[in-house]
Amino acid sequence: MNTSYPLVIESGLFTLLLAVFLLGLVRRRADDLLAGWVTLVGLAGLTLAAWSAEPGRVALEGSFVLDELSLFGKRLFLLSGLLSVLATLAMTHPSFRRRGTEYYVVFLASLLGMLVLASARDLIVLFVAFELMSIPLYFLTGFLKGEDAAPEGAMKFFLIGSISSAVILYGLSFVYGAAGTTNMAAIPPAVAVGDPLMLLGLGLMLGGLGFKIAAVPFHMWVPDTYEAANTPFVAWISIAPKAAGFVAILRLYVEGVGEAAVLWVPLIATLAAVSIVAGNLMAIPQKNIKRLLAYSGVAHIGYLLLGLAAMSVSGVGMVLFYLVAYLFGNMGAFFVVQAVNGAEQSDDVEAYRGLARRSPMLALSLLLFLLSLGGIPFMAGFWAKLFVFWAAIEQGMYLLAFLGAVLTVVALYYYLVVARRMYIEDPAVPTPIPVPAPLMVAIGGCLAGIIVMGVYPEPWVQAFLRVALTLFSTN
Amino acid sequence: MGWPVLSIMTWAPFASALVIMALGRSRPALVRWTALIGTAVSMVCALWLYVNYDVATAGFQFFEEFPLVPSMGITYQLAIDGMSLLMVLLTAIIILAGVFASWTVKTRDQEFYALLLLLVTGVFGVFVSLDLFVFFLFYEIAVLPMYLLIGIWGSSGEVRPQGLFGWAFGRTGVGTKEYAAMKLTLYLLLGSAFILVGMLALYVAAGSTSFSLLALEAVEFDPALQSWVFLAFYIGFGILAAIFPFHTWSPDGHASAPTAVSMLHAGVLMKLGAYGVIRIGMGLLPDATQQWVWLVGAIACINIVYGALSAMAQKDLKYVIAYSSVSHMGIVMLGAATLTENGMNGAVFQMFAHGIMTGLFFALVGLVYEKAHSREIFRMGGFATMMPGIAVAFTIGGLSSLGLPATAGFVAEFLTFLGAWSSANSWWLFPAVIGAFLTSLYVLRVVRAIFWGPKSDDPRFQELPDAQGTEWVAIVILVGVLVLFGVLPGLAITPIDASTVPLLMRLGGM
Repeated sequence: MNTSYPLVIESGLFTLLLAVFLLGLVRRRADDLLAGWVTLVGLAGLTLAAWSAEPGRVALEGSFVLDELSLFGKRLFLLSGLLSVLATLAMTHPSFRRRGTEYYVVFLASLLGMLVLASARDLIVLFVAFELMSIPLYFLTGFLKGEDAAPEGAMKFFLIGSISSAVILYGLSFVYGAAGTTNMAAIPPAVAVGDPLMLLGLGLMLGGLGFKIAAVPFHMWVPDTYEAANTPFVAWISIAPKAAGFVAILRLYVEGVGEAAVLWVPLIATLAAVSIVAGNLMAIPQKNIKRLLAYSGVAHIGYLLLGLAAMSVSGVGMVLFYLVAYLFGNMGAFFVVQAVNGAEQSDDVEAYRGLARRSPMLALSLLLFLLSLGGIPFMAGFWAKLFVFWAAIEQGMYLLAFLGAVLTVVALYYYLVVARRMYIEDPAVPTPIPVPAPLMVAIGGCLAGIIVMGVYPEPWVQAFLRVALTLFSTN
Repeated sequence: MGWPVLSIMTWAPFASALVIMALGRSRPALVRWTALIGTAVSMVCALWLYVNYDVATAGFQFFEEFPLVPSMGITYQLAIDGMSLLMVLLTAIIILAGVFASWTVKTRDQEFYALLLLLVTGVFGVFVSLDLFVFFLFYEIAVLPMYLLIGIWGSSGEVRPQGLFGWAFGRTGVGTKEYAAMKLTLYLLLGSAFILVGMLALYVAAGSTSFSLLALEAVEFDPALQSWVFLAFYIGFGILAAIFPFHTWSPDGHASAPTAVSMLHAGVLMKLGAYGVIRIGMGLLPDATQQWVWLVGAIACINIVYGALSAMAQKDLKYVIAYSSVSHMGIVMLGAATLTENGMNGAVFQMFAHGIMTGLFFALVGLVYEKAHSREIFRMGGFATMMPGIAVAFTIGGLSSLGLPATAGFVAEFLTFLGAWSSANSWWLFPAVIGAFLTSLYVLRVVRAIFWGPKSDDPRFQELPDAQGTEWVAIVILVGVLVLFGVLPGLAITPIDASTVPLLMRLGGM
């Protein structure tokens, strides 16, 4: 089967979803991991398929495209989904044993939404895909409904998510009104002439998307949601829906807009600066590592926006690089959190005392993930940060780059506080922490990711710059 | 094209760090000998470079090149000139001595040596890389392991915070090793943020094609850009060189760090900051150098006097040495700011001389602490009768510190003073001389109190052994070098001169 046809991968995923669903109907057994393994194998196959696909085809009269950007998105979503499912297989919580199938079906539904979103070139398709992605996320946040925090986190996420969807929809109606069509190809000309209705609509949509990617001041749901939900899922929503939001932003505000994209620079630069400063500062007092990573994640969104604010080929290319580097670093960190939580039943930073003595490899992994997130050389995150600063400086935004660079020091402070717990303090109990095999594979994969990208970034840079180039050349 | 000597020298410690991590678990002898072999290889390479560096040709030699990220013009490009040659030699000497000085580390020795060697790879890399970007990569490697090295193996000070803010300082943990480690790391990383932005700004202004120092040197940057980038570099590297008012990490960090780390950090890493200001700040931005040199010199004067006064007020031996480093780094920066041949040569010579001297001091302080378990100067006394070897070595170090002829410190300070006098701001000479005077006060006071003065009544200090076995090696190496370069300064001046003269030509100073 030629995977280069549009909708082939989506159809494959839908088939997988149905298969897992049917499996759940047929096999009603507690303590069954089969659904998980089926999902894993299916996703692995789809990931390979996405890698072999070639860009360049269009379906549904231009509403659904398979171009470089959509392929980038699909690969990223599938890869992060794959890693998350791997880690989910290591979950021992009773709910997972009992209702695992449900989890995977809903998870795949959300993933399907993301895959469609990556290809959407039509406002309606975009919105529907957004909702298909988001609604399952609310459900999955509250999946461990027996836990105290889960319903609260899910409710908060749901309310804010719905409002942001409404805002997007409201803005979308203006865009439609101004363009007279839902096809996104109509947006660039209207932006170029500065149609006020169009700008109002896109501005509103940027606000709504700001909630989805959790940029300050639209970030309030993040820490509570992360704290409430189960860790493999948090690892996934810390990157995949945010990447989806960035793909949507690139489609709406960058693709084909050309010179007129400069219009958005002040707005995006402000969001970037505020997110970087607020995210990093709010992470400092956190005692719970998931909340810490949540706030640091907000700061990372700021850095991504910083690259975007450059509105140049290198800027967008480096945003894509940053997304992938962030995927490996952040998911890896969450997987270690999951392993520690499995043994300690706690996500407090306190629980990491003396980890280096208990499980040296686990501590080293977390240290490397945090250093990558903090932007230390020979880790993927270093190049990511460097590249976005470079893109910003290229456009003369010295102060913004400087601000970002100084606040990485703040970020390193709270990452080093964790390192101090692990390396300098003595453990409370000396026993090693058991790491289930699938989780170990997931951690190993992320580790390989940050190191390979960190040591030899050249091929990745080339690939992402090529993707970025298509966004600026098509017209 | 023969052996890639620079790469071997840089990566040999790293290779031994890997071996130690892989095989060193509960094999202390293997850990130490692997570390020794790695650093000895570096030492041999450094000596080979020193012998084979062609002073007559001058300029950069021993080129090695390998494209790293071609799309951004990042090249693994190594070469050394006279200045970096001397710094490389300093690094090799200090780390060799450092390995001996930490021979007795007991807890978690495997990780200690691995991190120490990783750090050294970073330091070597900084001195030999010509590509600004690779320079930065090595720079970061040289900074980060410090956090764990101080945090795990360091020691907290005995003298608790006092005075008006004593309570607040106590709450924030001033004086503890955790505080010192975090402060040092964050300060230095803040510096690297300044450097990174300045570096990228130059790269973009030069057309985003190459990070090579040689390529960037050929570009005439816009004076306005030069002006702020120079300040960014000056602050960024200056933090590492402990310029006032960004010096406060250095006493805390050096006092809390374990012996070998103090030696390496005060001895070599601070030089790395001065090296960065001279090589990158001044070398790439000649117009801005002329514009800001008054600031560099004035702050250097503050460093000299303020550092010496602070050293005088300390009761903790390690803090005295640490503050004396702040003062001596002022002499380095002052020499550079004179923009004269003598001053510049004095600055680089002082980098070398002070590196050896501080390394010696910290090695000795480590030994005294190990035997007497105290760093409080005025509790100890009359140690010369019990540990004559350590006492003599400490006194020689002290005499070099105050600039007595026939020690390396004299040559460095004398050249710097000459340079200051003949520079545009000849008043710089006065703070420098006052600093040297204050140095002799606090150094002699400490030497007298601990070693040569009346014996302490404290029962802890009645039966103390002298240095033994491997401990002697570090002392003998460092004292030997200190005296050798004091008696034969030409050994260092010749290569230094070969690199400072071209630099000054670029700056229009000659």
